Amino acid sequence: MTTVTKRRKISYWQRSSNVRTALLYLLPSIILFTVFVFYPMFRTIYLSFFLTDQAGEAAIFVGLENYTYLLESDAFLNSIKATFLFVLYTVPTGIIIALILALLANEKLRGIGFFRTIYASTMGVSVAASSVVWLFLFHPSVGMFNKFLNIFNLPQIEWLLDPTWALFSVSLSTIWLNTGFSFLIILGGLQNIDEYLYESARIDGASYWYRLKRITIPMLSPTLFFIITISLINAFQTFGQIDILTKGGPSQSTNLIVYSIYREAFINYQFGTASAQAVFLFICILIVTILQFKLGEKKVHYQ
Amino acid sequence: MRKSSKFGFLALLLLSLFALVACTNSDSSSSEKDGNEGETEKEVVTTEEGKTVISFWHAMSGAGQTSLDAIVADFNASQDKYEVQAEFQGSYEESLTKLRSVGGTKDAPAITQVFEVGTKYMIDSGFIEPIQNFIDKDKYDLSQLEENILNYYTVDDQLYSMPFNSSTPVMLYNKDAFKAAGLDPEKAPETFSEVIDAAAKLKTDDMKGFSMLTYGWFFEELVATQGGLYVNEENGRAGDATEATFNGPEGLNAFNFLDTMNKAGTFGNFGTNWDDIRAAFQSGKVAMYMDSSAGVKGIIDNAPFEVGAAYIPYADEVKRNGVVIGGASLWMSKGIAEAEQEAAWEFMKYLTTPEIQARWHLETGYFAINPSAYEEQNVKDAWEVTPQLKVTVDQLQSTEPSIATQGALISVFPESRQQIVTALENLYQGMDAQEALDAAAEGTNRAIEIANKTK
Amino acid sequence: MRVWKKLILYFLLIVTSIIMFFPIIYAFMISFMTGGEILSGKLLPSTFSLDNYVKVFDRLPLFNYLINSFVVSLGVMLGQLVVCSLAAYAFVFISFKGRDFIFFLFISTMMIPWEATMIPNFFTIQKLDWINTYQGMTLPFFALAFGTFLLRQHFKTIPKELHEASQIAGLSKFGFFFRVVLPVSKTSLVTLGAYGFLTTWNMYLWPLLVTTNNSVRTVQIGLKQLQSQEVATEWGVVMAGVIVVIIPTLLLLFLGQKQLQKGLTQGALK
Repeated sequence: MTTVTKRRKISYWQRSSNVRTALLYLLPSIILFTVFVFYPMFRTIYLSFFLTDQAGEAAIFVGLENYTYLLESDAFLNSIKATFLFVLYTVPTGIIIALILALLANEKLRGIGFFRTIYASTMGVSVAASSVVWLFLFHPSVGMFNKFLNIFNLPQIEWLLDPTWALFSVSLSTIWLNTGFSFLIILGGLQNIDEYLYESARIDGASYWYRLKRITIPMLSPTLFFIITISLINAFQTFGQIDILTKGGPSQSTNLIVYSIYREAFINYQFGTASAQAVFLFICILIVTILQFKLGEKKVHYQ
Repeated sequence: MRKSSKFGFLALLLLSLFALVACTNSDSSSSEKDGNEGETEKEVVTTEEGKTVISFWHAMSGAGQTSLDAIVADFNASQDKYEVQAEFQGSYEESLTKLRSVGGTKDAPAITQVFEVGTKYMIDSGFIEPIQNFIDKDKYDLSQLEENILNYYTVDDQLYSMPFNSSTPVMLYNKDAFKAAGLDPEKAPETFSEVIDAAAKLKTDDMKGFSMLTYGWFFEELVATQGGLYVNEENGRAGDATEATFNGPEGLNAFNFLDTMNKAGTFGNFGTNWDDIRAAFQSGKVAMYMDSSAGVKGIIDNAPFEVGAAYIPYADEVKRNGVVIGGASLWMSKGIAEAEQEAAWEFMKYLTTPEIQARWHLETGYFAINPSAYEEQNVKDAWEVTPQLKVTVDQLQSTEPSIATQGALISVFPESRQQIVTALENLYQGMDAQEALDAAAEGTNRAIEIANKTK
Repeated sequence: MRVWKKLILYFLLIVTSIIMFFPIIYAFMISFMTGGEILSGKLLPSTFSLDNYVKVFDRLPLFNYLINSFVVSLGVMLGQLVVCSLAAYAFVFISFKGRDFIFFLFISTMMIPWEATMIPNFFTIQKLDWINTYQGMTLPFFALAFGTFLLRQHFKTIPKELHEASQIAGLSKFGFFFRVVLPVSKTSLVTLGAYGFLTTWNMYLWPLLVTTNNSVRTVQIGLKQLQSQEVATEWGVVMAGVIVVIIPTLLLLFLGQKQLQKGLTQGALK
């Protein structure tokens, strides 16, 4: 991400002309971001200091009360915990699964294109559609998963009803849904690794695992870094699955922050607390991303 | 990105630009809104044939939508003055969110379907026209409609909205399982302790005895049938409620009722999804459960065994009070053209005719708000085949009108229902009944307090 | 490669493919079942009857929804390509003060959850009188930090010499952008296009919010309309809806998979 540009000797006028041209190119983005991202964000921050009335307008200024209330509220702390657990369940597992699939699909075999397409297919399935299907797979009485357990004489699991399982179940469907995208990106990364690296390793008689550890993973690190960043951000913002599968229950165990925001805003119509939660989430993602860049960039191996 | 030490003048400039836009935007938003409310731009949309066109926002999906669309089409064909356009707006919550933004403006639909717990909000909102005005003007005979349904939507002797899709809870049970357990399949348990006993007898390795959807509505009903109130100020009907009362003895009774069975292992928890609990019943995973009267027909048609329908259970020490109506009603917008209001009123009257209500009742399972519908031949025929449907109507009609069965009025009902859901889930996970209820009451109180403060 | 190794690989490939594709196959199977069959928890329908599909098309203006979905998705796709490529070009080929800061601002928009800003945005759209319009459904998504990021990474791989050569040849900035940068970056553009198309196709809350009638509604809303709350849901019909909704995107993915993957790779590097 470094952009070290050589400063050429250019006159002030030309430099400011550059600024003006650049602005022209950036203008559409800036306008759109301002109207649809920054303005709502400012408004969110503003509202987070108020209690709102039934029309959603700021009514009573309460300072930081919304924040202190949130930090003392068990429900919100539980939301944060659930969100972090969810991120922990989905991001590493999802990437490892995608990596394994990509390694498999990177073998040169006849008909490999077919398998690649199958692996990538979940990218074409919407959250709404996939959640409806998973709702059925998890069904306590007629769902496929419990039927399978039954065949092997295992005890039935209340996938979405038992608070100890619900978050896991939602994570499972999320991992499945995200695999297609991660797979495609990692596979692309694998195919960009120079073949001669492997050849020289093979001549040295290195084992498959040695090659994986010493060549593949290091060479893949920029790709992995990229997909981890995207996955982290997406995981923090998960909404659709929760809305369709659990609505935050049972016992709030899957009440991830974004769902909690949606509920506060759409159902309870409390924009004040909803906004405070949104600000909180933004800070969380910001910290995680910065941390990730700080820690991750050192380990990333650039060609 | 690491070399971005010098932000430069430009960045600051941009930032302030953002801030400026943000401020002006929020300013103009409020003033514009006022402007919109002030001007009374009353354009009437008409079709080519000169029919007045009105929008009807609804939240009916699935079978309800199919039926509703057909009824609307018939209305439009039945006369040449009005054209109703039925438009689906998502869930009740999503629909209400949209209404909140257009309410009182010319963009507002003439008719909106709002769920029963939104009643208080709608009355306070100021952008609706009480339909009592039209009833009075038109000398419409209200007595032809079901009293126990009207009671819910009547506040201070004014009917604010026209009841529409209405339902109550009922208890459904598996008659085959009753026989197998040595119980009389024609006599369903009536009180809490009878249900607890029956559940214990019905329980097998595969089948639980009793279940209830984890949904606040059912809890409200269990409280109301004991004559208990949900909130103070006469269930919020004498004035703005300030405190939840559902954690009193009646609420505790209901929670203990569920807790006893849960601890005994005879209660099955099938979550918050309507379809899940129905599938559990139909596949023999639970012998008795509480469902909406609107779902009864679907269950009977699909279950591979004989289904019994019964009144919902009540506490042993009290007499049965009956049920509170659930579902939704139709609200008329204020600030739209008179011709549009007139069209809306005509459509509402059309909806309440016995023929339409009979059809609605049979196609969806919701009650007929006009009881004469039950005299229609097609309803009689259907009841012949599925007499269970009649049980649901009997339960409603035998309900004793009181503040308890009239239902509570609070603006933060949706939030309170979430609190109850959490309390029920915690109860099933082993939390003390009173403790779980108190937590829900506390959450509700805070919501009420904020709502009253910002009103 | 030895035969046994090949066999193991094929075995793994087939098993994992079945697992990955199972939910879709399952939905496909259910879409042919009757209500009773579904509740008995079967995996295969007794007959492949198209009843559920007929019902789905009968109940909803699904063709209209599909067309709207295409219009909206294509609109967002094209909008994103134009807006993001312009921005990415500025970030790579024009050096100006505060460039990194603005870039950081852009990237930071990725961290703001859309659901958190949805209601203010809805008010904006309403004030612009864009309810029930294509622009209301598409415009808010034209600027995309991810897309700008992806294209920027690819533009950076374009040799500086090319830039200098074009300047010597007297090509204007826009000329260079249009004649050189864009053609060279075809794969990335295809990638971003596919990504934009798919994500837009899959949106469901926003299209519902900014429409009040069926005129511009998309297929995902149809899915919502098929499920009911208090009255029993016909799952066979819902699954038929699911299949109808995912087929266009799956087809697109099958056809464009190679391109997509190439382009994404370039975005991921460096």
